[in-house]
Amino acid sequence: MADTPLYVGIDLGTTNSAAAVFDGEQVSVVRNAQGATVTPSVVRVDKQGRVTVGTRARRFIEHDPANTATEFKRLMGTANGIEFPAAGATKKPEQLSAEILRALRQDIADQLGVAIERAVISVPALFELPQSAATSEAARLAGFARVELLQEPIASALAAGWRADDDGAGTWLVFDLGGGTFDASLLETRDGLLRVVGHDGDNFLGGRDFDWAITEHLASQLAVVPQRSNPAHAPALRALRLAAEDAKIELSRGERAQVALAQPLSIDGTDVEVDLELARATVERLCVPLVDRALDVCVRLMTANGLGPGRLAKIVLVGGPTVMPMVRARVAARLEAAIAEGHDPMTLVAQGAALYAATAGLDGRAPAAAPATGHQVWLQYPAVSADLTPHVVGKFVGADAPARVKLARSDGGWTSADASVAEDGTFLATVTLLPRRACTFEIICLAKAGERVPVSPPSLTIVQGLTIGDPPLSRTIGVALANGHVQVYLERGAPLPARRTFTHHTVETIAKGSRDSVLRIPIVQGELAQAHLCRLVGTLDLVGDTVKDTVPTGSPVEVTIELDRGGRLNARALVPAIDQVFEHVAHLLVPDAEPDALDAALRELRGQLAALRTDAFRHGLGQVIEKLDRLEARLAEAEADIDAAHGGDADAAQRARRALIDVDATMAEADLARKWPELDAAARQVAITASSTVGFHGTDAERSLLQEVLAAIDKARKDKDAAELERQMRLAQRLSSAAFNRTPEAWEWYFEDAASEVSKARDLPRAQRLVTDGKAAIGRGDTDELRRVVKALWQLLPDDSEARKRGFDSGVR
Amino acid sequence: MTGLAENPFFVLGATPAASRLELEREAQKLLGMLELGFAAAKTYETPLGPRERTAELVRAAIAALRDPYQRLVAELWARHAPPPRAAGLEPEPEPASPRVSLWPKPEARSPKPL
Repeated sequence: MADTPLYVGIDLGTTNSAAAVFDGEQVSVVRNAQGATVTPSVVRVDKQGRVTVGTRARRFIEHDPANTATEFKRLMGTANGIEFPAAGATKKPEQLSAEILRALRQDIADQLGVAIERAVISVPALFELPQSAATSEAARLAGFARVELLQEPIASALAAGWRADDDGAGTWLVFDLGGGTFDASLLETRDGLLRVVGHDGDNFLGGRDFDWAITEHLASQLAVVPQRSNPAHAPALRALRLAAEDAKIELSRGERAQVALAQPLSIDGTDVEVDLELARATVERLCVPLVDRALDVCVRLMTANGLGPGRLAKIVLVGGPTVMPMVRARVAARLEAAIAEGHDPMTLVAQGAALYAATAGLDGRAPAAAPATGHQVWLQYPAVSADLTPHVVGKFVGADAPARVKLARSDGGWTSADASVAEDGTFLATVTLLPRRACTFEIICLAKAGERVPVSPPSLTIVQGLTIGDPPLSRTIGVALANGHVQVYLERGAPLPARRTFTHHTVETIAKGSRDSVLRIPIVQGELAQAHLCRLVGTLDLVGDTVKDTVPTGSPVEVTIELDRGGRLNARALVPAIDQVFEHVAHLLVPDAEPDALDAALRELRGQLAALRTDAFRHGLGQVIEKLDRLEARLAEAEADIDAAHGGDADAAQRARRALIDVDATMAEADLARKWPELDAAARQVAITASSTVGFHGTDAERSLLQEVLAAIDKARKDKDAAELERQMRLAQRLSSAAFNRTPEAWEWYFEDAASEVSKARDLPRAQRLVTDGKAAIGRGDTDELRRVVKALWQLLPDDSEARKRGFDSGVR
Repeated sequence: MTGLAENPFFVLGATPAASRLELEREAQKLLGMLELGFAAAKTYETPLGPRERTAELVRAAIAALRDPYQRLVAELWARHAPPPRAAGLEPEPEPASPRVSLWPKPEARSPKPL
C-alpha cells in the first residue's frame, strides 16, 4: 500500500457530494459511514454547537430547518453568513463546505487507513474567482494541505473517457444536469488525449428546478396554497419540497407515488393535511420544459461546432436528475444518439477528479520524509501519459553526479539504454510503458567506472492512459481601462497555469502620503470588450500612503496577472518610476443581492428590452427578436426568484442577481445586432483598408492570413452574426495595423491625429512641447523620436469620465 | 494569431509536419527541461531571431496545436516564414493607437487607407 499512489477526487456538489480514489489502475468510489457512495451536502448545528453532516443532518431539514443548512454551495464567495439560532452561531458558506470536506476526508481515512492531505476538488465550469477562492479556503479549513480545483465537465469527461474505446470514438457529449447547474461538453479522444471541443451551459437550470416545479404543482392542490414570496410560508414549502424530491426519486422506478406528510402543514394559521398521489406522467409533464431547455443548450453547442443530430458517437449522462427515465429517453431521441451505459451519474465527477489528480501528480498522501541516501535527483515526467514512450528528464543535485543513468521497468520486461549525464548534472531518457497500466521504473545510476551507486528517489511511476491537457480558463480575464474597455490578459480557454504582463499608464497622479489618493486597477472576468458588462473580481489599489514617491500621470505600470491550475488569481503591479511592487489584490466577494435593488434592476432591464424589441421589429431583425424572446423568459424566471428573495431565500437572490447580469450582457449583444447596418458598413471599410495596407506592406504570411479573415468576415456578414463579425474585424485590423505601422507615414499620421486634439490634453504645456518635438522629428526624418513623442502624447489625452466610471474607476489606460 | 515570434511550432522547435503525438511528447519534454533549468531549453529560434522560451509559452503552444483550426493557422505562418535567424532581434510590430477604437464609435478613426 505504501508504494501505491493514492489520488483523491472530491465532487463538492450543491445537493450531494462524493469522493473517489485512483491507485493508478483502478478508480473506486469511497463509501461513507452509512455505506452510501454519496453524502448529502447538508450541515446541522445543534444547540450544543455540535456539527452533523450528510444523511444524519438531512433528516433534520424538515423538523429543524432553522439549524440545518442546505445548498450553501450556491452562496460560496458571498458575504452571506448562515445562522444557526439554537447554537447562536453564524457560519460562512465555506465553513459549511469545509464540514462536508472534513467528513469525506474522514470517510477516506476510515476506508483506506490513510490520512489524505492533497486532493482535487471539482467546481462548476462557470464558477467565478471569488467562488473558487472560497472553495480553496473550505479545503484549507478541512485540513487539506494542498488542493487543485477542476471544472466539473472536465472531470466527468475524463471519467467517461478513461475506459472509452479510443478507436473511432468520434465526438461525444457529456450532459451534466446537477442540482443547480447544467453543463454540456462536446469531447473527442484521439491518440489517448482527451480534448474538450466545446462547452455550453445554463447556470440557472438544475435538479432543484425540477423539485420546485413538482413542489408548486403539489402546493396548488392544497386547500390553502403557500406562496414562495411569503416568508411565513417557507416552512410549509420546505416540507413539501422534501416530499417532492422523495416522490421524484420514487417515480424513477414506479408509475405512481404517494405524497403524504405525517404532520399537517400550518399555512396562515390553518392546518392543511397533505395526502396526494403523484403520477410519473404528471412529473414528466412538469419537467419536460426544463429538459427541453437543457436540450436547446446541447443543440446550440452542437450547431456551433458544425454537428447536427445523429452525429454524436454517444452521450454520457451525469447528475441525479438524469436518472429519470424520461430524461434519458428524451435526450436520446432529440440528439439521436445512444446513451453510454455503465457510468454512475452520481459519482462520475468524483471519479474524474481522482483521475485528474493522477494527471496532476497530486498524490493524496502526505509526502514521506524518508531519509535520502545516495545521489539526489530531481525528476520531471508525466504522472499519467497517453504516449507509450514518454520522456523522463532529470538533474542531479550537487557535484560529482553519476556518469550514466538507466531505467528498468519493475516487471523486468524492459530496460532503457544508458543515458549520459551532462556536465551540469542533467539527463534525458525515454521509457516504454505498458498500455493501461501503472508502470514503476527503478532508477539505476552508474559511476564513471561502471559501478552502481545509490540514488534518491530510487524509482518513479507513470500511469499509461487517457490524459487531458492543462485545464482551460473558463472565463476571459483582463484589466478594465479608464476608457471603459477591457485589456484582455488571458483568453477563455487559455491553458492553466498562465501568466501575462502588460504595461499600462496611469491617468492620474498618486500623491505620496495621501491616503485619499488611490489609483485603482480593476481586474474583471467576462467575454465582452466593455468593462461594465464584465464582472469585477478583484482590484489592485495603489494608495498614496504606501508609495515611496509621488507617481505622476502617464507613468508606466507593469501589471502581471497569474492564475494557477485551479484558476486562483494572483496579480501584481510594478511601478518602475519608483521601483515599487504592489501585490495586495483585494479579492472581492460576490456582491450582495438586495431584493429591492434587484427589483429596480429588473425594471430597468425590462425597459431596455422593450426599446430593443420595438427597434428590432422596425428593422425586421428576426434573429434579434428570437434572442429577445429568450431574454424575456429569463427575466420572468428572475422575477420569480426575486419574489422568493423577498421571502428570505438568499440563494434565489443570488440566482436572480446572476441572471440579471447575464441578461444585461446578452442584451448588449442584441444591441450590437440592432446596429447591424452601421456594423456592416464598418466591416466593409475595415476589409477595404486591410486589403490595401496588407496588400502593399504585409508579409506573405499576413496576406495569406488576411484572405482567411476576409472569408470569415464574408461569412459573418452573410450569417448576420454581429459578435463574430466584430471579432473578425478586430483580426483584420490587427493585420492592417501591423502592416501599416511598417510604413514611414504611419507615425506621422498618428502624430497628426494626436496633435489635432492637443487642446484637450491634461498637461497642456507639456503636450505643446511634445507637438513641437514631433514636428522637429518629422523634419529630421527621425521615426524613433516621432514614435516616442506620439506615445507620450497619447498618455496626455483624456478619457471621458462616463467611460471611466464604466471601467470601474480604473486609473490606468 | 501569434504570428512569427510566438508561433507554436517555433516555440516547440517542431515542424508543421509533426504528428500530434510528437508535439505532445516534445512539449512534455520541454516543460520538464525548463522546470529543471536545462540551458538548451531556454531559447528557441524564430525568423525574427532567438526568443526566450517559458513554460507558459510551451503550454499555450501545445494547447493551440490541439485545436485543428489554430493548428492550421500556425502551420500557415510557419510554412510561409523565412528561415530562422540566429541573432539580430527585430522589434515586435508596434500596437495600433490605443485611441483608435474599432467600433461602434462612429467618430473613431482607423488607419488611413493608403
